[in-house]
Amino acid sequence: MIRTQNLTFAIGSFRLDDVTIEVAPDEYFVLLGPPGSGKTLFLECLCGLRRVTAGKILLDGRDITREEPRRRSIGYVPQDYALFPHLTVRDNIAFGLRASNTPRTSIDTKVREIAEMLGITHLLTRSTSGLSGGEKQRAALARVLVLQPRVLLLDEPVCALDEATRQNVCSMLRRLQKDLHLTVMHVSHSLEEAFSVADRAAVLNYGRLEQTGSLGVLLRKPTSEFVARFMRCENILEARASGIPDEDASLLFIESLQLRVRGRYEGAVKVVIRPEDVIVGSAHELPHPTAFPVRVSTSRDFGGFIRVQLAGPPDLVAHLPRTAFASLSQGPIRARLLPESLAILQMTS
Amino acid sequence: MPAQSSKFGPHPHRDTNHGNAPNRALGDRLFVAACGAAVVLFVAFIVTLIVADALYVDARAVAEVLRSRHIRHALWMSVWTSCTTTALALLFAVPIGYVLSRYRVFGRTFVDAVIDLPIVFPPLVAGLTLLVFFSQTSPGRWIQEDLGVEFIFQPKGIVLCQFLVAASYAIRSVRTAFDDVDRRFENVALTLGCTQWQSFRRVTLPLAINGIIAGGILTWARAFGLFGPLMIFVGSFRGRTEVLSTTVFLEQSVGNLEVALAGALLMIAVALAAIVAIRLVGRRGQLGL
Repeated sequence: MIRTQNLTFAIGSFRLDDVTIEVAPDEYFVLLGPPGSGKTLFLECLCGLRRVTAGKILLDGRDITREEPRRRSIGYVPQDYALFPHLTVRDNIAFGLRASNTPRTSIDTKVREIAEMLGITHLLTRSTSGLSGGEKQRAALARVLVLQPRVLLLDEPVCALDEATRQNVCSMLRRLQKDLHLTVMHVSHSLEEAFSVADRAAVLNYGRLEQTGSLGVLLRKPTSEFVARFMRCENILEARASGIPDEDASLLFIESLQLRVRGRYEGAVKVVIRPEDVIVGSAHELPHPTAFPVRVSTSRDFGGFIRVQLAGPPDLVAHLPRTAFASLSQGPIRARLLPESLAILQMTS
Repeated sequence: MPAQSSKFGPHPHRDTNHGNAPNRALGDRLFVAACGAAVVLFVAFIVTLIVADALYVDARAVAEVLRSRHIRHALWMSVWTSCTTTALALLFAVPIGYVLSRYRVFGRTFVDAVIDLPIVFPPLVAGLTLLVFFSQTSPGRWIQEDLGVEFIFQPKGIVLCQFLVAASYAIRSVRTAFDDVDRRFENVALTLGCTQWQSFRRVTLPLAINGIIAGGILTWARAFGLFGPLMIFVGSFRGRTEVLSTTVFLEQSVGNLEVALAGALLMIAVALAAIVAIRLVGRRGQLGL
């Protein structure tokens, strides 16, 4: 298990601020964030390449905050893999074993085993310069995994790969993590990548940790507008709330729409609902009293779904299956928001 | 198969201009032509001078140069002093270049300026400075007289003189070579179990080796051809402190122009052979680093 406790690191005007994250043993954790949010710096702090300003890093309960990188037992694969260009693939993989004075016969055996596991035996004698992105990635993984690290840190491991290779590599990463019982922290800006591999995830926003949880929670119950936007939630509506006396419930007023929701909220709130959770149908299909009339403003086919811009009030974006969209073509339509699909962000002022 | 060559290795025509040159306007063609003309002119200028020297010298002068014990001694002095100077310069240049490249040391601008100073020293000033230090100052006299390490008019002085003038070239080149090595490689080596020294020896140094070789060539060439400061600091005593460059000067000063030119051609040939040999060795990565 690796845990950071109020980790703080400052460089220039940028600051990783008070980041507390815990990754359980055998867990595949994805740290999400837009470019420039401090994901790489965070990984470099974990593996000892940056001296943290404050806070602690604990590996299986042991404080490693001040330990040298080589003594941390943390494997790090940087974004563009940083394979040593003056060495062959075999020598790259054997690099760490040689640094620790492992006997030559043992090095040969371990290199062969890990190369077989990753399917790169045929590349061992090759120079790194002619390798494809996927081959480089597997060579870099082999170089780290041959040392049997307790924690594996992956910095945007598939961002340099083409679309087709990405999914395969994500599957391979997930399989390796399961087979080798690895604790993995993988940083990425891509939601698709996170969905392919993550047990849990967190969202980092310019050095601050916004939210940690399962991807389902991050998707449907974001605790901040930033997380909602990062998780591509396009419906963030301004509303007013009023707590119902003697009940753990509130009334939400979204323009002319009134909804009853669980929990107590007062004053200005923001209501978040995912486009795929907006229910849209013809008027006779949605006779419910909370359904409200809308009209299709624009629509665009995204292959797997149709993105529909609905003019309200309130204005909404919905993602509809192709068949559901086809049934909207005639007659008036209505939309409905299920209270349980809403995430409500209480505004402080 | 063409498909394989483009996927698994550099395309055979990627870096050439055959077939994939863009369409150029007349102005662009003139620009390329002007650049090409500069190359041709410069190379022709150097080659013409060397050919003119070679045509002026007859076989007798060449034979005299090759047979002369003094000139052979001067050649040997030139070679060993310049090689020793290069080794010494690199011994200093590698750590200095690494520190300047990787660390924000206090007073870096001042240190940079001091390191560059010998490059802009007029050659005679370098010789004079050394002479004054070792003959007129207490620390210099202490080194010469009390420690017994004599430099003035001694072969050791040749190395010191060459070192003063040429080491800055090595430091500059080596520093640039380290600047060009991405620091992430060193960082990755640290996470793979290396100490800072191991990371330097196994990653940084091999990746910077071409730049270090270039620095060595520059230093060696500067040291091999050094003349002015040597005349002041160590003189040119036959069979003792005479090097090939001072031989050329002495021969031409007594009117023996053909022998002087033969000596000059010998210097050019040795320099050319050394530079080509070092480049070939460096390219094949056979320095064992």
